[in-house]
Amino acid sequence: MKFGYYPGCSLEGSGAEYAHSAEAVLAALGVELEEVDDWVCCGATPAHATSHLLPVALSAIACAAAEKQGLETILTCCAACFSRLKQGNHDMQNDPALLAQINEIVEEDYHGGVAILHLAEVLVRRIGLQAIQRRVRKPLTGLKVACYYGCLLTRMPEPLRIDSLEYPTLMDDLMRAAGAEPVDWPFKTECCGAALTLARGETVVRLSGSVVEMAKDCGADILAVACPLCQANLDMYQSDSESKLGRQLGIPVLYFTQLLAVAFDLAADAQCLNKGIVDPLPVLADRGLIETGVYL
Amino acid sequence: MKHQLAGKAFHSEFLAAVEKHCEQEISACYQCGKCSAGCPVFEDMAIAPNRVIRMVQLGLKEDALKNEMIWCCAGCSACTCRCPIGIDLARMMDTLRQMATHDGVPMPPDGARVFTFFQAFLDSVREFGRLSEVALMGSYNINSGRIMTNVVKAPWFLLKGKVGIIPHKIKRTDRLKRVFRRIEEIEGS
Ligand code: SF4
Ligand code: SF4
Repeated sequence: MKFGYYPGCSLEGSGAEYAHSAEAVLAALGVELEEVDDWVCCGATPAHATSHLLPVALSAIACAAAEKQGLETILTCCAACFSRLKQGNHDMQNDPALLAQINEIVEEDYHGGVAILHLAEVLVRRIGLQAIQRRVRKPLTGLKVACYYGCLLTRMPEPLRIDSLEYPTLMDDLMRAAGAEPVDWPFKTECCGAALTLARGETVVRLSGSVVEMAKDCGADILAVACPLCQANLDMYQSDSESKLGRQLGIPVLYFTQLLAVAFDLAADAQCLNKGIVDPLPVLADRGLIETGVYL
Repeated sequence: MKHQLAGKAFHSEFLAAVEKHCEQEISACYQCGKCSAGCPVFEDMAIAPNRVIRMVQLGLKEDALKNEMIWCCAGCSACTCRCPIGIDLARMMDTLRQMATHDGVPMPPDGARVFTFFQAFLDSVREFGRLSEVALMGSYNINSGRIMTNVVKAPWFLLKGKVGIIPHKIKRTDRLKRVFRRIEEIEGS
């Protein structure tokens, strides 16, 4: 199985552990990735907040490059890239006038022949839970995982949705296949505060704090995420939330792919467990899933 | 919160202009408030998202374009996904931000900070084709005169190798600059 691959800027920077773990997990499942040539940033929120055409044009550059490489799909990991590329691609595919205008702007001849996929749907629907289960070497037995989907992964217009709006289950299914115990909790799609750190730091502490607190109250050992911004907000502001709430939280925030890498017993540089601020090693060692010595 | 209408200017053409720009039937909103009930940032705002819609319906252009809500909107789309009649409110927020910028409407302090961040982000994309997190923090801090809150956490980021120091640069930056320029010409900003 082969997919076009769009890593995205965050995965080249602060979300590197997401890229390393996702690539290693896919390789372990026999999936081949071909990086989209000279891909550009999706523009994230700043592009669509300030321009109607820019987010579509940025999507078009990646889609056109993939089409030229003969790729039929682009696999994304970051929820924001996924949302932007999928939306832009869909707009072009359904509006010939827009496609023509964008082609002129970006100096390309894109025909709309590429499908944008998210890693979670690829793992569940293309590779399949059985294949994933078969690859597990160290089942995550006894590990209670709260899967946090945030906003961008699921909140798409009807025809673009890959999972339920209010109660998505893709990551839960993956965690169960890896032997973990997904927690049934109500804050799967609550907002983490996104980029509001700048305008309203206290809003981010309030929102991310309530997500972590709910995960803890529902019995979670760990939070699994699929977005670099969610990861940063839930992990980085946890100590601020703890002071605000006056209680200890201590819930590590890992990408779901890092947990799959642990279950697959992949190398330490695929698991990247030393990147978080809330240390995941104690709980993982307690469940006998890792030997801490490897990371010292 | 009571909204004082006396002495306000009503712009009858404003509603139609917003509807055309965001391709949404804003006039159909019947003020059920479901969008605001699920909005994560509303609790910290003086004006709820459904009030912003009401301002547009009434043609209260100044109020709709200069409030903090349009800038503090996180773009989470909870409102859009829950509106019983399918109004894409998140898209209307994009439209209002774009109109406010285009018309040079004075921004509330929160809005100015968010806008400076958007600019710094897009400057990095325009320059490198990719977002450089270090360049972003640097240029945001210079342009806003305010240290990015995240920088307080920066030692952690650097220590853990969380922020890429060297910006990745794409090959076809010339083409990308032309793309940005063309869009600016079309959208007239
Ligand atoms: S949910 Fe829809 S109809 Fe209800 S107030 Fe919001 S925009 Fe109007
Ligand atoms: S998109 Fe904006 S207005 Fe709508 S719910 Fe989210 S933060 Fe509130």
